[in-house]
Amino acid sequence: MNISGVLVRSRPENIKAVTARLEDMEGVEVHGANPDGRLVVTVEESGDRTMADTVVRMQDLPGVISASMIYHQYEEEPDLEETLR
Amino acid sequence: MKLTRREFIKTNAIAATAAAAGITIPGANTAMATAAQSMDEIRWDKAPCRFCGTGCSVLVGTKDGRVVATQGDPDAPVNRGLNCIKGYFLSKIMYGKDRLTKPLLRMSNGKYDKEGEFTEISWDQAFDVMAEKWKAAIKKDLDRNKGKPPEEITSSVGMFGSGQWTVWEGYAASKLFKAGFRSNNLDPNARHCMASAVGAFIRGFGSDEPMGCYDDLEHADVFVLWGSNMAEMHPILWSRLTDTRLTKKGCEVHVLSTFEHRCFELGDNNMVFTPQTDLAILNYIANYIIQNKAYNQEFIDKHVNFTKTPTDIGYGLRPEHPLEKQAANAGKGKLSKISFEEYAKSVEPYTLEYASELSGVPEDQLERLAKVYADPDKKVTSFWTMGFNQHTRGVWVNGLTYNVHLLMGKISEPGNSPFSLTGQPSACGTAREVGTFAHRLPADLVVKKKAHRDYAEQVWKLPEGTIPGKVGYHAVLQNRMLKDGKLNAYWVMCNNNMQAAANMNEETWPGYRNPDNFIVVSDPYPTVTAQAADLILPTAMWTEKEGAYGNAERRTQFWRQQVKAPGEAKSDVWQLVEFSKRFKAEEVWPEELLAKKPEYRGKTLYEILYTNGQVDKYAKQKVTDGAGNVYDNDEMDDFGFYLQKGLFEEYRIFGTQGPKKGHDLGEFDVYHQARGLRWPVVDGKETLWRYREGYDPFVKAGEDVRFYGFDDGRANIITAPYEAPAETPDKEFDLWLSTGRVLEHWHSGSMTRRVPELYRAFPDAVIYMHEDDAKARGLRRGLPARVVSRRGEMVARVETRGRNRVPKGLIFVPWFDASCLINKVTLDATDPLSKETDYKKCAVKVVKA
Repeated sequence: MNISGVLVRSRPENIKAVTARLEDMEGVEVHGANPDGRLVVTVEESGDRTMADTVVRMQDLPGVISASMIYHQYEEEPDLEETLR
Repeated sequence: MKLTRREFIKTNAIAATAAAAGITIPGANTAMATAAQSMDEIRWDKAPCRFCGTGCSVLVGTKDGRVVATQGDPDAPVNRGLNCIKGYFLSKIMYGKDRLTKPLLRMSNGKYDKEGEFTEISWDQAFDVMAEKWKAAIKKDLDRNKGKPPEEITSSVGMFGSGQWTVWEGYAASKLFKAGFRSNNLDPNARHCMASAVGAFIRGFGSDEPMGCYDDLEHADVFVLWGSNMAEMHPILWSRLTDTRLTKKGCEVHVLSTFEHRCFELGDNNMVFTPQTDLAILNYIANYIIQNKAYNQEFIDKHVNFTKTPTDIGYGLRPEHPLEKQAANAGKGKLSKISFEEYAKSVEPYTLEYASELSGVPEDQLERLAKVYADPDKKVTSFWTMGFNQHTRGVWVNGLTYNVHLLMGKISEPGNSPFSLTGQPSACGTAREVGTFAHRLPADLVVKKKAHRDYAEQVWKLPEGTIPGKVGYHAVLQNRMLKDGKLNAYWVMCNNNMQAAANMNEETWPGYRNPDNFIVVSDPYPTVTAQAADLILPTAMWTEKEGAYGNAERRTQFWRQQVKAPGEAKSDVWQLVEFSKRFKAEEVWPEELLAKKPEYRGKTLYEILYTNGQVDKYAKQKVTDGAGNVYDNDEMDDFGFYLQKGLFEEYRIFGTQGPKKGHDLGEFDVYHQARGLRWPVVDGKETLWRYREGYDPFVKAGEDVRFYGFDDGRANIITAPYEAPAETPDKEFDLWLSTGRVLEHWHSGSMTRRVPELYRAFPDAVIYMHEDDAKARGLRRGLPARVVSRRGEMVARVETRGRNRVPKGLIFVPWFDASCLINKVTLDATDPLSKETDYKKCAVKVVKA
């Protein structure tokens, strides 16, 4: 399982539309936005889509100016549902 | 609160991203504290990214002798913790399944045979065969050059090097070829990407490389992109630019290109122009500034000379080509002084109407662009990359941009910056600063000037007259000379020129396979170029060795060796230095040279060039970081001294004591601590803006601005007209072809195509084409089509949508894909001044496959 944090930029007036387009993508969640147009997005790799695919497709969405990966972690599948304290 | 592992990771991702977005998201920080614990088995150390010229710093995570992770370096001033998609997969570039681990020689019946099969051999055998071929070529050279002065010496050995070489690799190669083998036939692949920029810097300022730095990205009010798709090619600089555009009031972005690309999403004034008419647009802007008397009179009176350059200069094709025969001043570039009035008159024809008609850009948009340059209160930074450089008038068009900035005095200060970006990680640090070009020596010295050769020979402790004074074969000429049988022993290192050079069918391939020639290719992977070689040498890459790169803002960055190379792969610097042991001075130099330094009789080139008391000055030592981690240095183990440090410290003499001032680098050890330093580095302090008092230590108090590359301290405004490109679409070949890169892949894809994630994200090259153009040819999206030129053809699928929207009449095809080679189609027309190929313009037709 791959999980990434991605900083997406749009024009401030497009935040709403871009958020909707991003959330339509599988494994993508928008967690918040700076009113200046910077969106906090996570991507979870799922199914046949690789994370790189999703990040690149994100960049091609109308209204998206850029998408920079900030954080990336790869974990083996079985450990993921283990509860941490 | 209980968290699953998945939630924990996700929370980390949110927290890190929120910090970069400048906001806090409740609850996101709780998990961060434990993050460090899960990483405690990984050793983290900094290294500049292996890909483009931006020079991002990444943290490289190593575990059990293998690089397992990379992340943006939060302490790096360039990228501030950010990373582009390629940077995230850096850890995987070294682990492609087909890494080369043994030298491979084409053999039949146990012997070298140019038509034989690649067969594994030892390094000893490899260097035996190679040295034999080199010595045979050099013997011929010695006979041919007998009694000739250095200015007339020619050579049949050569090397094609790299803007991806580490600083010391380029330096070691320069010494081995220019001094050891007395051959100036050394050129880097940076010829294909930066030569026009270099030409314009030298003509305009008498000193290479930008005056500004990336801090301009925050200081500018207006950004103008000329032939630069930063959103895909320099994503981190693009994200800094975007931040400024979105947060600074009144900030605007102007984008000029021959097709619509990702940058248009942010652009406030987007202009698609007809190829080559950038020349006319820039002259119109200059004319606008003059007509409106907006120019900075005081600045031009004090700091500028007006000059003109010869026109009708041809297209750098073979001399027998009709276009070269027609040209009145083929290849000429000597500047002559003119008055301000003459300059004003030269740009007068470039009215708004004329520029608009020629370029196809609406008048109001051109005028809006001219106005921001002409507004004294707006700080303007212009960025350009291959759109300007890969241009048959590349030196001119770079210069026309300087003209505009110089007229306004908008230069060498925060935010006012004409800024040439680079495509390779050390096009600046190695190719340009070390001077691994056919005409250059370190620190802006040139082989043509005897005083410069004398200086290099003195630093290198060589007899006078060792370095030849005749400019060697440049990149494109090397391929032509291989084909013509004049270049016979040839070493290609750290690049993929079979795939990269234009007109592969007619020039490159016949040259490599010419039976008169012996071709050696050093590479980590079996690239298209390696497969065309006679001998392949397996190479250690990136963090498998200690290295140094110099980025586009003059920042020199070092890294330590993190892991061992696989099998018998060896670094480029090891290969160069080890090979030098095979040659005795008597085998490469004539008697009259040896007579000037009799102590070199019987010595090897290794002893003369590398154990000369300077390069071997630093004893073997333990390489450690601040935390006490110990790192390998395989070259130090092999040669018994700190090779990288010795080479760097000797090289540094050229910058600190050489004839061209302002090229100072800091001491070796400093760079292992710092996140890079921008030269000139004087008293440990870096320089952010060159040529301006208060920033540049070489500009004295009261001088304000001094372009000290020239003795009179003035920069050149150089007038040049619009001239047509070498090839224009006609009835049969009715479309423009432009080539370039895509975000996911870097250059020829030899590294990025071996990262599964990046490969899958963009597996094959496509033909970006206008829907109407496709329809007219019976094609549609997804169908295969043939791209045909007068020189060759290739097949790829048509793409009428996606990130690049091309206008009618133009197609764009990326060149990363080794399975469909667009350079079979391109034209090897070059800028006659810089010798850089124009990969952006030739005429093709597209038909059903």
